[in-house]
Order: sequence, then C-alpha cells, then structure tokens
Amino acid sequence: MNYNLNQTAGTAEQKKSTLAALKKLLHLIHEEKRTIILAMIIIFINAGLSLLGPYLIGHTIDTYIQSKQFHGVIIISALLLGIYMTAFVTNYSQMILMGGVGQRMLFSLRNAVFNKLQEFPVDFFNQNKAGDLISRINNDTDKLNMFFSQSLMQFISSIFTMVGAGIFLLSINPELGSAALLPALVIWIFTRSVSPWVKRRNAANLTSLGGLSAEIQESLNNFKVIIAFNRRDYFRKRFNEANQKNYTTSVSAGLANNIFTPVYGISSNIGQLIVLSFGIYLVMTGKFTIGLLIGFLAYVNSFYHPLRQLAGLWASFQVAMAGWDRISQILSLETNLDVTDDQNTDPSASYLSFRNVSFKYPNGKEVLHHVCFDLEQGKTYAFVGPTGGGKTTTASLIARLYDATTGSVLLDGRDIRSYTPEERTAKIGFILQEPFLFTGTVRENIIYGNPDYQNLSNDQLTVLIHESGLESLLGRFDGGLDSKVQTTGDGISLGQKQLIAFMRSVLRKPELLILDEATANIDTITEQLLENILEKLPATTTKVIIAHRLNTIENADEIFFVNSGEILRAGSLDDAVNLLLHGIRES
Amino acid sequence: MGNLKDQNTPKKVSKPNVFSLLKPYSGMVSFLVIFALLSNGVNLLLPKIIARGIDDFTAGNFVFKTIVEEFLIAALVIFIFTYLQSILQTFASERVARDLRTKLAGKISAQSYSYILKTNPSKLLTNLTSDIDSIKMFVSMAVVTIFSSLFMIIGTCVLLLMINYKLAVPIIAIIPVIGTTFFIVLKNAKALFRRSREVIDWLNKVINESIMGAAIIRVLNSQQSEYHKFLAANTEARNLGLSILRLFAALIPIVTFVSNLGMLTILMLGGHFVITGSMSLGDFAAFNSYLALLIFPIIMIGFMSNMIAQASASYQRINEVLEAPISLETGTVKKLLQGDFELRNVSLSYGEKPVLKDISFSIKGGTQVAIIGPTAAGKSQLLNLLTDLVRPDDGTILFDGISIENFEKESFRSQVGFVLQDSVIFNMSLRENIAFSDLVTDESLEKAISTSELKEFVESLPDKLDTIVSERGTSLSGGQKQRIMLARALAINPKILLLDDFTARVDRNTERKILSNLETNYPDLTLVSITQKVASVKHFEQIILLMEGEVIAKGKHRELMESCTEYVQIYNSQRSTSHYEL
Repeated sequence: MNYNLNQTAGTAEQKKSTLAALKKLLHLIHEEKRTIILAMIIIFINAGLSLLGPYLIGHTIDTYIQSKQFHGVIIISALLLGIYMTAFVTNYSQMILMGGVGQRMLFSLRNAVFNKLQEFPVDFFNQNKAGDLISRINNDTDKLNMFFSQSLMQFISSIFTMVGAGIFLLSINPELGSAALLPALVIWIFTRSVSPWVKRRNAANLTSLGGLSAEIQESLNNFKVIIAFNRRDYFRKRFNEANQKNYTTSVSAGLANNIFTPVYGISSNIGQLIVLSFGIYLVMTGKFTIGLLIGFLAYVNSFYHPLRQLAGLWASFQVAMAGWDRISQILSLETNLDVTDDQNTDPSASYLSFRNVSFKYPNGKEVLHHVCFDLEQGKTYAFVGPTGGGKTTTASLIARLYDATTGSVLLDGRDIRSYTPEERTAKIGFILQEPFLFTGTVRENIIYGNPDYQNLSNDQLTVLIHESGLESLLGRFDGGLDSKVQTTGDGISLGQKQLIAFMRSVLRKPELLILDEATANIDTITEQLLENILEKLPATTTKVIIAHRLNTIENADEIFFVNSGEILRAGSLDDAVNLLLHGIRES
Repeated sequence: MGNLKDQNTPKKVSKPNVFSLLKPYSGMVSFLVIFALLSNGVNLLLPKIIARGIDDFTAGNFVFKTIVEEFLIAALVIFIFTYLQSILQTFASERVARDLRTKLAGKISAQSYSYILKTNPSKLLTNLTSDIDSIKMFVSMAVVTIFSSLFMIIGTCVLLLMINYKLAVPIIAIIPVIGTTFFIVLKNAKALFRRSREVIDWLNKVINESIMGAAIIRVLNSQQSEYHKFLAANTEARNLGLSILRLFAALIPIVTFVSNLGMLTILMLGGHFVITGSMSLGDFAAFNSYLALLIFPIIMIGFMSNMIAQASASYQRINEVLEAPISLETGTVKKLLQGDFELRNVSLSYGEKPVLKDISFSIKGGTQVAIIGPTAAGKSQLLNLLTDLVRPDDGTILFDGISIENFEKESFRSQVGFVLQDSVIFNMSLRENIAFSDLVTDESLEKAISTSELKEFVESLPDKLDTIVSERGTSLSGGQKQRIMLARALAINPKILLLDDFTARVDRNTERKILSNLETNYPDLTLVSITQKVASVKHFEQIILLMEGEVIAKGKHRELMESCTEYVQIYNSQRSTSHYEL
C-alpha cells in the first residue's frame, strides 16, 4: 500500500471544496459548539456596543453641547461609562472564549494526528520521513491555531459589522447603496478566483517546510557520520538547498498572500468615489440631500473598513486551509492491517504455519516466493542464510509488521490477520535487529509496553528479574534499574541496547519468541548467559532464532536455510553449514 | 565524552535584542517603512479630498473632473505603495529567515559531535523551524506596524497639543498608562513564551521517538503508552497556551477601555470647554476624530507586542546556539599518514562514569589489529577517540608520533575510514551514499564496491547505483546496510580502517570474502577491527583484550592463549562450533 503522503497529495480526494474541508474541521470541535455559540453572541454584543458609542457621542454633540446643556453631557457620559465597562467585559470574554477554543482545537487536532500515526503499520514510517511528519504535527497544526485563536474573532466581527453597514446602506438609498456595494462584488469575484491559487502556493510552501524539516532531522541524527567523513559541507549544502527552496516557495506564498490588501484597498477607495460622484449626481437631480450624503459616506467607511481588514485575514485563512489539507491527508489514510473476522481454525496446521507465502515491499521486488513451513510449539528453530535472503522479512511476517502479499500465516491454526493486536502481541515476542531505546531509564525501557509491570516497585521488579535469571544482565548497568538511557548518543553501546531489548522480551513471557540477530553485538560469553536464560523459559515457548553465529544455533531443534526468498529445511547443523559456506548467495 | 564538562559551565549570553537582527537589512527595512508611511500618509488625504468636494459642491463651484482625477491619483498611489510595501515585506522577512537559518546551520555544522548530542537534535530542529518562523512574523508584520504606529501616535499627539493643550494633556496621559500595562504583560509573557518553545521541543522529541521506534511500538502494541506520553506534552502545551491567552486576553480590552476613557474625557472636559466658550465646536470634532486615529495604532502595537515577545524568546534561543563556542579546534598538520599510531595513558569518562582507564598500546602501520571484549567494555568509545570525534580526558593519542589534536581535521579524516556499528543510510542514491566524500573517484568507488561484495547486489537493483535508498534504509537488509557502510569508508582510500563490530551482521561466507578482498585490494591498510569472533582474527598481528575500560592483555592469538585466562574463556565460548572452520 502506498503510504507516501507526498505522493498521495493532490489525488481526487484532496480536491474538495473549501466548504467541505471546513465542515470536516468543524466536526473536530463539535464539543465546542456551545462555547462557540456563546462567543458569537458576545462578539455580536461587543460589535453592537462599539457601534453604539460613536452614535451616542454624535447625539450628545447635536443635542446637548450645541445647546450648552452640560447636565445632559454628564448623563450621557455616565451611560457611556456603563457601556464601556460592559464592552470591557464582553471584549475580554470573547478573547478568552475564542482563544480557548483555538487552544483546545489545537490540542485535539494534535492528539488526533498523533493517534492516527499510532494506528499505521511500520510501512507508513518507512515511506515517510520523520522530519516531514513532525512538521505536519507541529507547524501545520500551528497554522490552524494561528487562524483560530488570532484571526477568527476579527473575521467574525468584521463580517458582522460589514453586513450591518451593508443593510444600512441599502435601506437608506437602494440605488446609491447598490452602487456603493458594486466594488464589493468585484472583490468577491476576485477573491473567489484567486483563492485556490493562493492556497496552492501556501500548500507548496508547507511542503517545502516539511522537506526542510526532514533534511534537518536526517542530518542531525546522523551527525556522527557527517563529521567522521568530513562532510560538514554536505550538511551545509543539503541544508542550503532545502533552505533556498523554502525561501523561494515562501516568497511566492507571501506574494500571493499579500495580493489581497492592495486590491481590497483600491476597491474600497473606488467605492467611496462611486458614492461621491453618484451621490452628487443624485443630489443634483434632487433625489438626495447633501446631509444624507455625508452620513452615507460615513457608513460606506464602516462597510469598507472591515473589508480591508478581511483582506489580511483571508490570507491567513488560506494558509490555515493549506495546513489543514496536509493534516487531513494523514487523517484520511487508513491502515491496511485490519483485523479480519475470520475465526476459522485449520486443524491441519501446527503452531505456526506459513502457507504459500509470497511477499513484496511496496515498489520493490519480491522478497519471499511461495514459502511454506510449519513450526511446532515448544521447539527451537534457527533461520540461517546470507544477508538479504529474507530472514528478517520472514520474522516480520510472523509478528505481522506486514501482511503477506499472497498466501497466509497461521498462528495456532488461525489466520494471523484475525488476531487483535492485543492477542497477537501477547503471544509473540520479537527482538528486533536494530534495538531502539526510549529516552528515560533502564526500568522504563524493560517494562515498556508491559502494562502489568508498570506499577511494580523497583524491589518487586527486581524479584521478577531474579526469577527470570536476568539479574546478571541488569548488573551490567551501573545504576541498575534507574540507569539513564537516551535514544541518541554514545552513552550506551549497541550491545547494551540489545541486552535491554532481551530483558524486555523475556519479562513479557511470550509463547513465541523471535530473536532477529538479537545478540549480534553481544560478546560470546554473555551470549552463553543469554542462552541459559532462554533455557529457563517455559517448555512450551517456541523460539525462532535468526543468527549468523553458528554457536547460537547449534542447540536448535531444527534449522531452516533462507536464501533468495526461499526457505529450505536443513537436515542437520552440518547441512546448514554446508549450505552457508557453499550455497549460492542472494542473486 | 570528556569535553562535555567544560561546555556544561553556563556561559553568560549577552541579552540579544531581536531588533539588532535587522541591521544588515537596514536599506530594505527603511524603504519598507518609507513605503508604509507614504501609503498611510496619502490615505489621510482621501477624506480631505471628499470633504473638499462636498464643500465645493455646497459652495457651487464643484468641478467633477478634478475631484475624480485627484481621487483616482491618490487611490492609485496608495495601491502602488501598499503593493510595493507588501512585496518588500515578503522579501525582507523571508530573507532574514533564510539568512538566519543559513547562519544557524553553518554554526551547527561547525560544532563538535558532542555538542550536537548535548544540545539534542529535537531542540535544534525547533530552532531551525518554529523559532525562525516567529522571527519571520516579527519582520514581516511587527516592524512596519510599529514604525507607522509610532509615527501616527507622535503625529497625532503633536496635532492634539497644537489644537488645545489643556485638553490634550489628559488625553496623552493615557499613553503611559497603556505603556505600563504592556510592560507588565510582556514581562510575564516572556517566560511563558520561552517555556512554550521548550514544550515544542518536548513534543518534537516524543513524536520523533514514536516514529523512530515505530517497529518496536508495533511489536509490543504499546501505542497507548506512546499516546500517553504525547498527551502529557500536549496537555502542557495547551495549558501554557491558555496561560498565555489569559495574559494577553486582558491586554486589548484594557487598551480599548483606557482609550474609551479618553473619549469620555474629551466629551466631558471638551464639552465643558465648548459650553464655556473656550473651545470651538470644530476643534472639539477634530479632537474626536484624532482620538480614533490615536487609538488604532496603540491597539496595533498591542497586537505586535505579542509577536515581539515571541520573537524575542525565539531569538534568545537561537542566539544561544549562535554564541556557543566551537569546542573542537582543528590543528594545522597536513601529512600523509603512515598508519602507525599509539595511545599513551588515555582515560575517558562519560559523565561520572569512567569508560576507558589508562589505556596504552601502539599499532604499526600496515598491520591488522583486533579489539575484543565484552559488551560495554569501551570498545566503541575507543574508536570515537581514534577518529577525534571525542577527545580524551587524559593522555595522548599519537599518529606517526604527532598528537591527534595537531592534525588538520579534513586531511586527517580523509585518511581514516570508519565503519560505525549502527548503520546510517542517507536518503539519496546508493552512489552518493557510498561516495560520501567529495574526494571519491569512480575508480575508488568501483574498488570499494567490489571489496565490500556489493557488486552483485548493486547489479540486481533496477537503477543500479542510482537507486535511491530510504532514510532508515528499510528496503535493505542489515547485512547490506553494513556493507554499504564499509564501502563508504573504503571509497575514500583510507590509510587506516576502523571497523566497529562489522562482522556481526554479515554472514560468514561474505565476511571471509571481504577480509581477503581487503588484503588484496588495500595491501597497505592498517586495520583496527572490533569484533566478537575470535576465529576471523586469529591470524592478526595483534589482538587487544579490553574489559571494563582496561586493557587486560595484548598480543598474538597464540600468545594470548598461553597467557590470558579471560581470552581463553572467550575463545572457549566460541570453540564448540570451531570445527566448522575450514
């Protein structure tokens, strides 16, 4: 399945209208409905109050100041003070309410994206770059947040004021009113026609930002090689390319975003000119008075002023929508590793059976060809063979990191696809070829993914570790359970990482334990210790060992030779060695 | 990681001013401000043109054509200047961002390996993306707005004072009130903004680990616990966002309220003046409209102060990276290595923990040496020292009798090939991955590939050497990745080759071929190989046994078998299958 986000972009599904995209977004915050309605009401009141002030002042001037009644001035002032205080409250509440909605939306959006990422199979992460994904979760959601917490309020109140002023204009004089609104129509058409283009430019910009982030991510995580090979210039060069590319797309997005302001500005000025000329014409023909024209001009301003503000807001809306598109690309992807309902068991199958399994990585060649084998419970199996022969792939299929392209994998007679992830992972332990540690402590890492042990005290855990015979391995860490470990860095050796991964798997007591070159970087003496620990596992534990070192496999009950995508049963250790030394290498 | 210690002492970072960033762009920024002032200035003319039109009309000498002409010209001028301003704004902000990124990347690329580890790649990623973004916002919006707002505020104040100073003084008094509010809010906000950047680092780290560890998470079905980690960071981010919101939500309402009080003052005091006849109604009306002109820029500065606070917090973080001292200074010696090297009483500790203790040994050029020892004996750290990625706490490392520090790094590293234990594959073509140094010729590339037994594999790929391999090298098997790493080290035609547990992931047959290829194709090579397999290094000139950071024994296989019990023990642990050796 194609999980590459940068390749699936722009498919038919993505070309939805802004409205549809907006609807999907609003669905994410449907819990906020009440808050949003409340905020709308408050924004409405606030807009009304701020229009009321100037009106009252005008009224005071006309009726009290001109007639020199200071008493009236004081009364109105008191009233105004009340209005201003109310406005202070509404103003503050609208900020808090809408800002809160923005923050909570950002929160649930990030959660949704992260959760979605957790649903995807390993394949998804192989096809997308870490830096690009991080950029989507952080930068793109932030673009949405900026719009929601900073611009949306202005957006709404601008629209309120505009609509109000527009109605006023039309009701005072329909003819002059429609003439005044004519440039607004032009703006509307203009906006509609350029918006998709503006959004595309912003989308391109966000893509290049993702690329930049991916570049930084890759280089920084591999800095050791860059230094050892004298390629600091490589980092600079690759970075500068990505940076320059980002600069170009940013400039082009910025230019597109900035097109609204001058166009809205000149249109609103022309609106004023139209009102002035057409108004004077109307006054000359006796259909209008000069006093009304002055008032009318003021209302035209209160129509076009918010419109001018909308220009800037509209650009930030387009940026937000471009960000949203990139996020919804992730949200709309579905995992292809669904759990099937097929609970049928095949009585002829043994504990683990491969039935005619072929596998091919996306865009790659076939790695396994029609493979069949059976493993019995409680036995130890070794898989040997040259590099690139398909050993890791076979192990990954057993653990269902991938699904077979054709054929089926049966665990306990049941198709592995019918197990829920909980059932499957409880049965299967898999020590990966490349161990990975989470930043934290040894304790956190060995009980990682093991909910039963999460709440044990260190003493209780130590008892369990003794029972499994792991204490001497733990002893290799100076700080014991509380030794600090990091994902990156040299504080801990690869061999030590493998020891932690080993302890983690043994503590989980799986029915089927797969060791994929799990001890390759551990010295041979410690390795013997590991063998003893494995011996102590319950007799029902099935072990699958992938290794190059012959001594790790000599105790296996059966040996399979994996080469060029085919799996052969080797009769004895001698057979296997013969095949290894003289067999054809992967073609 | 000895040099970590001297970096840990906190360095006094001079308080950076985000405005100082603009210095190199002063030409652009001044034009930007001029354009903004021009378009704003002409904007002020428009009401006047309309007012004159109406006055003329009522006076009966209205000339339609001149009004329209004047108006259109003014509108066009505004259009042109706002458009120019917006173009300039885009270029200025993007240029500042690009140049700052380049500077930052340049600095990072010059840093030592331990600096990157210590600073943490997640934080550097935030520095290069989110932090730069907030500076970009600052340049594109804040600068122009602040200049034109200040211009408007000062201009209006002067006008107000000219019209009626008695009324003007109480009105102008609102400015320091608002100023104080800003000051208090911004002071509190700064810490919050800094903290919120740190939370983004944290989010990045969690996302990053969940992506890098995707396979193990799926094997253990521990998505839920990853989600909880993320939730913790995200909740913190939300709470911080809400705290910042609470702080800033009060700002605009306070500004509006205070300026409304100004309005009220005009109404009452000004009204009183008008009623008592000490002020004309026209001046009163002017005061009213000028107050509106005064308030809008104040509110804008309020909005911008938020941006400036964020940008300052970001700039401070960026500045810490820019001002960090470069810890590894390069030497000047450029010479062709003979391949001899020697360690004299070398010690190294990682944090509190000693990793290597008083290590001494010497190796002759052109010989093959193995380093054997249990997990976490300090073997890999030893190789880090030999490539000068890390400097020892004590002791000296000499190459051809010259201390490693004195070598010019580029020429030194171009002679030392290093195959790391972890496979690092870059997301580019196989050719670029192997020819990772610019010194690699086609010939040496060819030789490296065939020595690493990669020829068949490369031939089997659809695009041969031009096949793009992915970031985490997923389409490749562990052994293939290891061999690519080897080819990369060989492609520079090294004098010394350091292998870190290279044979662990390569099958025996291939390993043998590679070792014999090495002997034929690179006969003068000094080979230092960390390994677990005694069998493959039995014939080496020297085997060094390292345990818990100490050299236990050194010598030929035969000698060690006679003199060193630990070595015998290791050998015996592998002996059971040794009869399969040919």
